[in-house]
Amino acid sequence: MIFAGGKLLPGQEVNAVLGCLEKETSQVLSGAPLEAETVLDTLEALGDELDSGALDGLIAQYAPPGAREELDRVRPQISRASLKERLALELGGLGGPRPFGRAEVRPLGVLLHVAPGNMAGLPAFTAVEGLLTGNINLVKLPRGDKGLTLAVFQKLTELEPKLSPYLYAFDIPSKDTASLRRLAALADGIVTWGGDEAVAAMRRLAPPGCKLIEWGHRLSFTYLSDWAGLDLNSLAEHIVHTGGLLCSSCQVIFLDTELLSVAEQFCKQFLPVLEKAAAAYYKPPGQAARAALYVREAALEQVLDRAASGDLNFPGRLCSLTLRRDYELELSHLHGNVLVKRLPRQELIPVLRQQKGRLQTAGLICPESEREALAGLLARAGVNRITAPGHMSEALPLEAHDGEQPLRRYVRVVDMENNF
Amino acid sequence: MLSRQKLFWLSRVYDLPGSDARFLRAVRDNCAYHIRHCPEYRLICEAEGFSPGCLNTMDDLEKIPVLPTLFFKRRHVFSMPEWRTPMKVTSSGTSGSFSRVSFDWGCIFAEIPMVLRLGFRHELVSPKPAHYVVLGYKPGKQDKMGVARTMFGLTHFAPPLSRTYALRWRNGAYVPDLDGSVKQLGRLARSPFPVRIVAFPSYLWFGLSRMEELGMSVRLPKASKILLAGGWKQHYAQEVDKNTLYALAKRVLGVGEENIHEFFGAVEHPIFFNTCKRHHFHIPAYSRVIIRDVHTLKPLPMGEVGLVNLITPLVKATPVTSVITDDLGCLTPGEVCGCGLKSPCLTILGRAGLNDITTCAAGAAELLGKGEAF
Repeated sequence: MIFAGGKLLPGQEVNAVLGCLEKETSQVLSGAPLEAETVLDTLEALGDELDSGALDGLIAQYAPPGAREELDRVRPQISRASLKERLALELGGLGGPRPFGRAEVRPLGVLLHVAPGNMAGLPAFTAVEGLLTGNINLVKLPRGDKGLTLAVFQKLTELEPKLSPYLYAFDIPSKDTASLRRLAALADGIVTWGGDEAVAAMRRLAPPGCKLIEWGHRLSFTYLSDWAGLDLNSLAEHIVHTGGLLCSSCQVIFLDTELLSVAEQFCKQFLPVLEKAAAAYYKPPGQAARAALYVREAALEQVLDRAASGDLNFPGRLCSLTLRRDYELELSHLHGNVLVKRLPRQELIPVLRQQKGRLQTAGLICPESEREALAGLLARAGVNRITAPGHMSEALPLEAHDGEQPLRRYVRVVDMENNF
Repeated sequence: MLSRQKLFWLSRVYDLPGSDARFLRAVRDNCAYHIRHCPEYRLICEAEGFSPGCLNTMDDLEKIPVLPTLFFKRRHVFSMPEWRTPMKVTSSGTSGSFSRVSFDWGCIFAEIPMVLRLGFRHELVSPKPAHYVVLGYKPGKQDKMGVARTMFGLTHFAPPLSRTYALRWRNGAYVPDLDGSVKQLGRLARSPFPVRIVAFPSYLWFGLSRMEELGMSVRLPKASKILLAGGWKQHYAQEVDKNTLYALAKRVLGVGEENIHEFFGAVEHPIFFNTCKRHHFHIPAYSRVIIRDVHTLKPLPMGEVGLVNLITPLVKATPVTSVITDDLGCLTPGEVCGCGLKSPCLTILGRAGLNDITTCAAGAAELLGKGEAF
């Protein structure tokens, strides 16, 4: 399916839509700019419908299970007040009087979003960021999108028809490079979400001069120092609830120790805590079955890929821990199957530097007296978010995105000289 | 050496106790073969302390290492070089990734008597020619999808006069043409020859609902049949009650439920499961089923619901001896069905919400083939 001009069109129309797109975008850009207030009003109206339960049917139809809870969690971030705060924080000060005249904040123009498939609402969210900054948004939908993004776009343009010329969505496969190249040729900026492959593919397609805005994959971990007697429940819940699937999900639990025996002891102590969280989360038999299959799959991967590694496996009920001897940050087996490693603090910087540019969140568990020092160390190692383990995947109000202010990347500053 | 052929050429297709000895011997030989020829399988068996010598009674079948279907999606493991495998088949890849399973000549040779015997047993084989309407994929060189082949295979039980497909391969993609098939059904109602509809259950449901919407109702010729294969897959949420579907088929096509047959099988377990007259899947002699606990994967007693573990010594080219699917199901004693067959019935009740891995973290480590490109 395609979304264009406020309407849903069949996929076969892709060439026809692409054919008119240049003319249409030029027309929109030559008209009055899209005001942030218009977007805020529309989002507020959408939020009201959401709160009243009017959209529950839509969510149940298109979004994956658990999306409703996820949405309730991020709901405050899309309230008018917090979006206004974000606009002020991220774009405030960019424009204003200058000695030569004035500076104005203007949209880049046309943004092509290559949206991710790992979080249901993200394709819509990235387009909303583009709208807030006044851009025309062309969204390439991820394969797994079951229609949620199209439904959201339809809702938004119903609520405010003025948004219609600013929202397009294309359900085209990543392999269709011809169509993607045509879209890229129209874009002032390409916003790519995804792995190295996706980023590299879009770099190849982008014409020179097109701004590349890349939200690549990240790795996150937890760091534990002097943890005896500290609460590990929220860490266990985080591991089970996110399944390791988010950039902010804990892949490795690092322990501030050199001793393998201490790490072994930790695994024995933590496994029942993780099992408790898994039992509480995977209540329906179908969910439990899925988790059990992933545990089995993780065990098989251990056997085949890590045969002579000396890894210590701690299989649990619907979850597992694997204690590895090296210090590296790497991807876990996911779905409640997490890695445990030693990482004495004096090794922290050289080890984490191996993954520079990929580090995102560190959940920190340590005595309060150590927190400042360890957080400082983690920040120096290149980590961009340092949180309590239970908050690793929470959206924190006004937080940056991978160390940057996203809205700033979707605009440009236009300097205008007076008196000439 | 020929233990597999001895099992598959058995004439009593639902006699489990009578086939136990042959089954056990064939499975033992099959495991030994995979251990010798598939390095991955050998590593797994060593790690789990399994050897063919562990298989002494039928109860020991649970000791064979179970491989999830997900395993075959992530890795392509084989026990034979490519030149010895005349056929490679993939699952339909509902979620984007698919299993690849190779078949050897011996496997194909063993499948023929199985399919023929079961075909006769369930009165699918008929000398009278029939027109086929396939509400599914038209097989072609471009794809190796197991279900397309199964459906094509099903069009041979009665000599085919014509075949009409609802999904055709055009310009690199399957294009649905349900309306064309519906029109064809209208035309075939006037034919003197019976019609056989081979369909995904969901497609049949959509097709019949559409006919009813349009106010169409035809009486297909006597002895027309509906053959359902491929499960509900991508339309799982829309799964309808079987009785509702049968009633709809009766209303719209005039085909009674005695002429509706359903099949079950998987690329990783290519055994020809048929429904009996009472629409139950009795386990044929070529397969054994263990239901496993959804928390621990330990075997469960008869009647309890769990993950479906399918065991067969059919395939030598790929180590699919014991696979655990993401289907949830249960076994009930065959006698309860009342159709006369004593072999236990397998009922599929649902599916573990096993999604493809679409993760940003997975991409970070560049796990090729395990994440989605973008």
